[in-house]
This record gives sequence, C-alpha cells and structure tokens, in this order.
Amino acid sequence: MMLSRIAESLYWMARHLERADNTARVLDINVVHMLESDEGVTEEMQWKPLLAIVGADEFYEEFHPDGRITVQRVIHLLTQDRKNPGCIHHSLKLARENARVVRDRISNAMWETLNQFWLTTDKHLAATLQPWRAAEFYAFVHREVATFFGLSQSTMMRGQAYGFTALGSLQERADMTARILDVRYHLLLPDLSLVGSPLDYYQWGALLKSLSGFEPYRRQYQGGIRPIEVVEFVVLDPDYPRSLTYCVEGIERALGRIGHVPDGAVADRLHALRGHLSGVTANDIIDQGLHEYLDDFLARLAEFSDALQADYFDAHLGDAQ
Amino acid sequence: MLKQFQSGGTGQLQDRYEGPVMAFHEFYQDDFRPRDHYLPMWEHIQIAGQQMLGAKARDAHLALHNEGVTFTVYSDADEGIERVWPFDILPRIIPGAEWNQIESGIKQRIRALNFFLKDLYHGQRILKDGVVPPELIYRGKDFRREIMDIDPPHDIYTHISGVDLIRDEDGRYLVLEDNLRTPSGVSYMIENRIIERRILPEFFARYRVRRVEHYPDLLLQALRHLSPRGAESAVIVVLTPGIFNSAYFEHTFLAKEMGVELAEGRDLVCKNDKVYLKTTLGLRQVDVIYRRVDDDFLDPLVFRADSTLGVAGVINAWRAGNVALANAPGAGIADDKAVYAYVPDIIRYYLGETPILASVPTYQMTDPQDRTYVLDNMQKMVIKAVAESGGYGMLMGPSSNASQRAEFARKIEENPRNYIAQPVVQISRHLCYLDGELESRHLDLRPFAIYGSEIEVVPGGLTRVAMTKGSLVVNSSQGGGSKDTWVLAD
Repeated sequence: MMLSRIAESLYWMARHLERADNTARVLDINVVHMLESDEGVTEEMQWKPLLAIVGADEFYEEFHPDGRITVQRVIHLLTQDRKNPGCIHHSLKLARENARVVRDRISNAMWETLNQFWLTTDKHLAATLQPWRAAEFYAFVHREVATFFGLSQSTMMRGQAYGFTALGSLQERADMTARILDVRYHLLLPDLSLVGSPLDYYQWGALLKSLSGFEPYRRQYQGGIRPIEVVEFVVLDPDYPRSLTYCVEGIERALGRIGHVPDGAVADRLHALRGHLSGVTANDIIDQGLHEYLDDFLARLAEFSDALQADYFDAHLGDAQ
Repeated sequence: MLKQFQSGGTGQLQDRYEGPVMAFHEFYQDDFRPRDHYLPMWEHIQIAGQQMLGAKARDAHLALHNEGVTFTVYSDADEGIERVWPFDILPRIIPGAEWNQIESGIKQRIRALNFFLKDLYHGQRILKDGVVPPELIYRGKDFRREIMDIDPPHDIYTHISGVDLIRDEDGRYLVLEDNLRTPSGVSYMIENRIIERRILPEFFARYRVRRVEHYPDLLLQALRHLSPRGAESAVIVVLTPGIFNSAYFEHTFLAKEMGVELAEGRDLVCKNDKVYLKTTLGLRQVDVIYRRVDDDFLDPLVFRADSTLGVAGVINAWRAGNVALANAPGAGIADDKAVYAYVPDIIRYYLGETPILASVPTYQMTDPQDRTYVLDNMQKMVIKAVAESGGYGMLMGPSSNASQRAEFARKIEENPRNYIAQPVVQISRHLCYLDGELESRHLDLRPFAIYGSEIEVVPGGLTRVAMTKGSLVVNSSQGGGSKDTWVLAD
C-alpha cells in the first residue's frame, strides 16, 4: 500500500525527468546536425518540426507573432523560457519538487544526484544558453538523467515505488517516441513509393539518433536506412528500449508490481494498448497510414493515463474502502 | 617577397614559425593576409580573442581523452604505448573547386591502378609492352604469385584507398603514396569532425561544410555489393589483428558504425572452401571480409606459415568465389614505392588520359646512375623502403646524421630494389594552436576513396600535421597530429 500522493509524485518525478531528457535529445541532434550544409534545407525547415514534436507550436506563435523560426528562439523556448511549462528548465524543476515529496521513498544517492543536477541547471540557465554552448548542456542533461535512472535500477526495491517510477518514465518515453516518429517520418517521406528504399543517411540517421537507436538499428538492419524497417524497429521491436512495444510491455510489468485496483479501468486500457501493437506488421501499419496509426496509439495512451489517474491518484475521491 | 612571420603586424595573427620559408602556406597569402577562404574564421578569432582558443583546445583534449580516442605507438622497448589522438583545433579548409580537382585525380588513379592489378594477375600485357619493367614487379615483395588468375568480384582490387597528398612550394597537389592495402585513419577523420563540431560550432556557422560521416555507410554498401550470396543476406565481418594493433580503435569504430561483427582470425574457420564465423548458435557462413590484416598474415596455408592472426584456408575460399576479401590480396604491389614512379605511365596506358595529379620525382635504386646520384646527395633526399608505411623504414636526409646515412647506404647496396629516393619536398604548412601560441606546421592530406558500384571520394580526409617544429614527417607513429578537414560546398 502506498499513499496516492506519494505514488503520484514518484510518477511525475520520473515523467518530468524523462521529458527533459527527450527534449534535450531532439534538440541536441538538431544542434549537431545543423552545422554542415544540406542542399536546400533552411533554418526554418530544420527547426520547425521540433516545435511540433514537443507540442509547442502554438506557444511559439504566441510569443513570436512574426512567425520567423530561428535556432536561437527555438533553443530558448524549449530549454529555458519560463513561459513554456514544458521546457527543460521547468521539467527539471518539477521533477525535483516531486522528488522532495518522496525523499524517503527513493535512495539518498538518487536524491543527491537529482538535487545537484537541478541546482547546477538552475544556475547555468540563469543566463541565455547560446547555440554553440547548447550541445554541451544537453550532453550534461543526458548524463545526469541516465545516472538518476541507473541509480533507481541499482538502489530501489522492486516494489510499488519502483513500479510508479517506471510507469512515469515509460509512459513519457512511449509518448515521445510516437511523436518523434510521426513528425519526422512525414517530413522525410513525402512519397510513399519510397518506403522500401534506403534514403538520406543523415536525415534518417538523425531520427534514429534522437531515439538513441542508431547503432542498434545498424546492427539489426544492414540495407541502409529504410523507412519500412525504421517503423518496424521503432514501433514493434520488443528488445529496443525506446520502441512502443518495449514501453508498453514495461508498463505492464510495472503494473504487475503495483497490483490492480478492483473494478479499475487501467487493466482494460492497457489491454487496448497491447491490442494496438500486437498482430500487426510494419507493412500493415504503412498500409493503414502511419500517421493515423500513431495518432490512434497516442489517443489510447492518453486514455490509459486518465485511467491511471482515476484508479490510483484520485482514488480518494471515490468511495471509502 | 617572403619574409619571416615574426612581427604581429597590423592586426594579423601572430605566427612564430622559424623554419624554411619556401613552403606553401595554406593560411597566409604572400602578403601575410589570410587567404579568402580563411577570412570568416580569422574574423571570428579576432572578435572572440585568441585566448578563446586556449579554452577550446583544452575542451578538445578532454573530450578525446574521455571518449578514448587513442592510437598506439610502437617502440622497440615495449609492447606499445596508448596515446590520446593529438588534435589541432583550427580546421584546414579546402575550397570546392580545389576539391573537385583532387577528387577527379584520385578517381582517375584508382581506376587505372585497378586495371593495372587485374592485368598483373592475369595476362601481364603492360609488362609485355615494356611500359613497366617486369623485374620491378617480380622482385616486389607484395607481388603475390599465389593469386594469379583469381577473379575477384567485379574485378575490384582496391575497395578502400587512402591516397596521401602533399602540396609543393607552389601549392600544387602531388600524390605522395597510394595506400591500397589496409589504409587507416578514416575513423580519425570522423572523430575529428565530431570533436570540431562540439568545440567550435561558431566556425561552422560561417561556412557551408560538406559532410563526411556517411563514410561507414558507403563502406557497408560497397562491401555488400561484393557478397557472393547477394547483398540482401550478406554476412560481413571486419577482420582485425586484435587489441594490440595500432589501429584497433578504428577497427572497433567501423564495425560498430556498420553494425557488423568485429572478428579476429580465431573467430573464423574454413570448411569446404567456405568461411564461417564461430557463434553461440553454431557456425554462420561469412560472405565478405573487410580485412585489416596484412597479406603476409592473412592465410598461413598460403602466405606466412607462422601467422596466428589469419584464417587458414581463406585464400582458397576466395579463389572458389565463396567469400569476398577487401582489399584484395596482392593489391600492395600497386602502391609499392618503386612502382609509384610508373603510375603516370600506367594511367596513360590503360586510360589514355593525362594524369590529373602530379607525382614526386622518384629515383630507382636499381638504376646504377640514379643510385650513384642519390648516394652522393643523401642529405638532400628522402629515402624510403618500398613496402613499408607509417613512416617506418625511412631516412630524412636533411635531419639525418652520418651514421644513419652510412647505414642506409649499406642497406641500399645490399638490396637496391627495396629502396627508392625522392628529393625533399617542402610540404605546405598551416597555422596550429600549440601551447597558447599560433605557429606554423607542415601537413599532408589523406582523402579516402571507396570503390563499390562506382568510385566515391568522401569530401574531406585526414589532415596530418607534423607537430614538431620544422619537421616534415606527419605520421602519427612519429609524433604527428591532425586537423579537421573541411571541403566547402560552393
């Protein structure tokens, strides 16, 4: 048994950290890849998709009515703009605030890592992050988040607290993987007839790198980078730790540790998620339309999230047991 | 008129170079203004201040150290010392038009040398026509009689080449060596780029630099192209001599980037003229071997019997067409330093074209007249063993002492075919940031070419720098460093 509030804080601590890490990763890949020349790719074409991936397109228009998209502006908005609640700075702030609530449920090493991480970040981001210092900062974010989750693996009991921590990070990860694939895929593949051919090594490589999947993909598939295989890998491969299938299976394991609420909605919602991913091939997905498929997945993930909220975090709103 | 670069001058970068001033300067024009393609970078340094470079240089060293980008230096005393890759932060920049000439020159050489190898190991038309002296080939250490009449897939012998270029006193690009066996350095070309991007993104913002990181993908496609069982199902391995090899870092790098297995000789076995990889799930047939093991050690049944680095039977499997080897055994005869002198003739003979890239004049020690001249003028010469590489087995005349010269004279008399001599070329120099100062150092350039369905030269290469003041020897085994190399898109 665990307090709903504690469970919710563990969940959000992990979720905000995962989000900061994912945001840093997509930014980092773009910062590194914008440096050399690509024929006909403008700054706007390079940076606009990022806004869609993290769902900040509307904010952007609000803050920059001239609509001009520049490196400096996007980096600022997604990294440190106080007006954007999804920026890295704010995500880390929330992760740390949640961790404070559950200090007794996580190991000292985890708390100290996260606390120092936050203090350093806050100090560093007091000034505007310059594009040429950005790569260094994002690398720092990856390292610290990895250390934190590494410590959770090696120092936490495999009970409910661990289960909620895993839930938060896997759910956020599934969400981000689906968004990255959705947005990038449609930009990179305007012509469906090319779905089986090896395409631009750098652009598709960047997609995989932003999902830490470049090297494992190369090991798995030797025929250049082909859209159909990217879909198979990123959506369906159960061994690739950022794939949708891996995340959903992980969520299932985490729920196993937590235990189901009688008459709760979570089990059904999870079943629906599983059903969406099983018994399909990459070809089926392409045939029915990748965008529709991923949209549907994200919708089911959102329903799952609502069920989680209702079953575990808002349980006190229901009848006393 | 050239003069010393001692004075800081009017807003110019300080350069305390003190060596001979005849060498072409990559960065400065004759009037000590930066060349046009260096102006954007130079302006940036002026604005940011030179001390900015100090912090950047420290960052670069730390990053290379942390990532474990190292190489091994051999010495007689011990097994070899691992060193951090020495990297100079100021990039070398090559304008697009200049690159186009380099690229077409390299492609031309590689096409001609592949015709040459095919001919040498089949009809030997070029020897019969008297274009290349037969004894030069037959006495060459790397001419392999064992592979006569074998047809490698698509008649390609040199799948990977790293052609060394230098610039003479007039800035003309010359070929110094065609490295056609197992040329190394490509991983450092890519690591240099990755580091440079991390350290100095400001510089990139002022240029349009062409990419180099697709090299492993080009290599993979070229290797798949060779597969006897078709590209789709090709099983490819990188064959390494092991962790004590100086290029082991590169072997792991390439295997990882291509997503293929890194194997040692003991991981492979031959049965019925097929090569297999020993895996936890049993034997798995191998289609293509990118071998980084020299011919001598490749197959103890055919070449050196005492080799434990190779795979017994691999040459027979290759002959049977069940496995492809890159580069082909026997390719080394075409980059033999004595054969080098004939490459312009080889190009004219097979292609009927005029060589695009010039060569360095070369004296044959088998020619009595040449030999006498060289022995009388050793101080003005570079003397090289024909089948060595990496700066081993070489005498730099101007910096040699009497006993070294006597030793080389004796070796030449003993085995003249084993040596050639070339006049010392004052190879071009460039600015380097060393210990807080900007100084000039000599350098060369090794672009990499891959021969798959066609020949591709990756726009860039490994620029090697002689870090010792005045030195003309750039090999990393002899204390050389390197720079990121930018080819501009224009």
